[in-house]
Amino acid sequence: MLESGLCNYVLISYGHSALSSDSMMQMLTDLSGDDAVFGHFGATGGYALAARRAMHTFGTGPETWKQIAMGQRQWADLNPQAVMHGKTMSSEDYDHSRWVVEPLRLLDNCLITDGGRAIVVTSLERARDLKQPPVVILGMGQHDQPAEIGQALTMDGPTGAKKAGEAALAMAGITLNDVDACQLYDCFTYTVEITLQDYGFFGPGEGKDWFQGGTIAPGGRMPVNTSGGQLSEAYFMGLTPLAEAAMQIMGRCGRRQLGPATGTREPRIVLCSDNGGILQSHSCIILGRS
Amino acid sequence: MTAKVKKQYAIVGVGYTPQGRIPGRTSLSFHLEASANAIADAGLRASDIDGFISYRYFPASSSETALTPNHVAHALGLSPTYISQDAN
Repeated sequence: MLESGLCNYVLISYGHSALSSDSMMQMLTDLSGDDAVFGHFGATGGYALAARRAMHTFGTGPETWKQIAMGQRQWADLNPQAVMHGKTMSSEDYDHSRWVVEPLRLLDNCLITDGGRAIVVTSLERARDLKQPPVVILGMGQHDQPAEIGQALTMDGPTGAKKAGEAALAMAGITLNDVDACQLYDCFTYTVEITLQDYGFFGPGEGKDWFQGGTIAPGGRMPVNTSGGQLSEAYFMGLTPLAEAAMQIMGRCGRRQLGPATGTREPRIVLCSDNGGILQSHSCIILGRS
Repeated sequence: MTAKVKKQYAIVGVGYTPQGRIPGRTSLSFHLEASANAIADAGLRASDIDGFISYRYFPASSSETALTPNHVAHALGLSPTYISQDAN
């Protein structure tokens, strides 16, 4: 829209009374189609299918996902706006969390949130005259896996994240070593693992070691979802990660601000993701300072 | 495309709303509040906005009509040159 010259200032908006209306339940309990006959329906069912397959093929599991759930909750505790702010999560809390669809527990699932989020995008030239420090788009990539998860030959990856990530890094002219933090679409804990794995942060199944010791948490070497993410801040689709990346790069994140305050690297380059369906479509965008 | 997009565009404003369990509000009202806040955060006015993307969405609640981008843009008082939506 901007590149073609059709528009100068683009507004991107999301809003949903997801928790207080019947909208979300209409979708999640949609029992139409062949799958429902066999008891398979809803987003958690689809992701549970993928996560179970991944447990079998590359040995992931709850020990890895727990690190993701707890790490993001620590970030939420530094973010007063996060829905789960002040609700600390212990290892036992995770272990005792109820099943939604095995192998995914309640604390592997993202939040359902009333609220909205919006961003404005313009040219860097125009951005320089505006109020906030520009958050520059360094690279973008998209890739989709065409098959529905139940029929996908790539049920355990690679997801679209692999090619989308490669394209975005190539456009930005950087490698993963240049990335200071990630803001990822995290509908489930497993989504964070498979996304980072497909981007190449670690090999299949190596997440078990990679996440240990608070890698993604405050003080960690690769902070992920520093608002708390969709697991612990709020669910606004791709705008949860994008907005947080922008706010971090602008330096407006208060106690959770990346840099010396949280014992992390300065957020010069932040990698963001969004995905749709059940690991079916994927977008990667790399943002940085001007 | 690479050379044309890289370092040419930027996010310049972010808009938030109350979030969590906020009963008694429509999805449209959250779109409007977040959008107004993002426009103000950028230091712009609504009349500056000439492109609008309404994020992909879940089914409308039984008490609301579908949040098409036309519907949201109209409620915002915008008449963008280009609108789009990525529906999930």
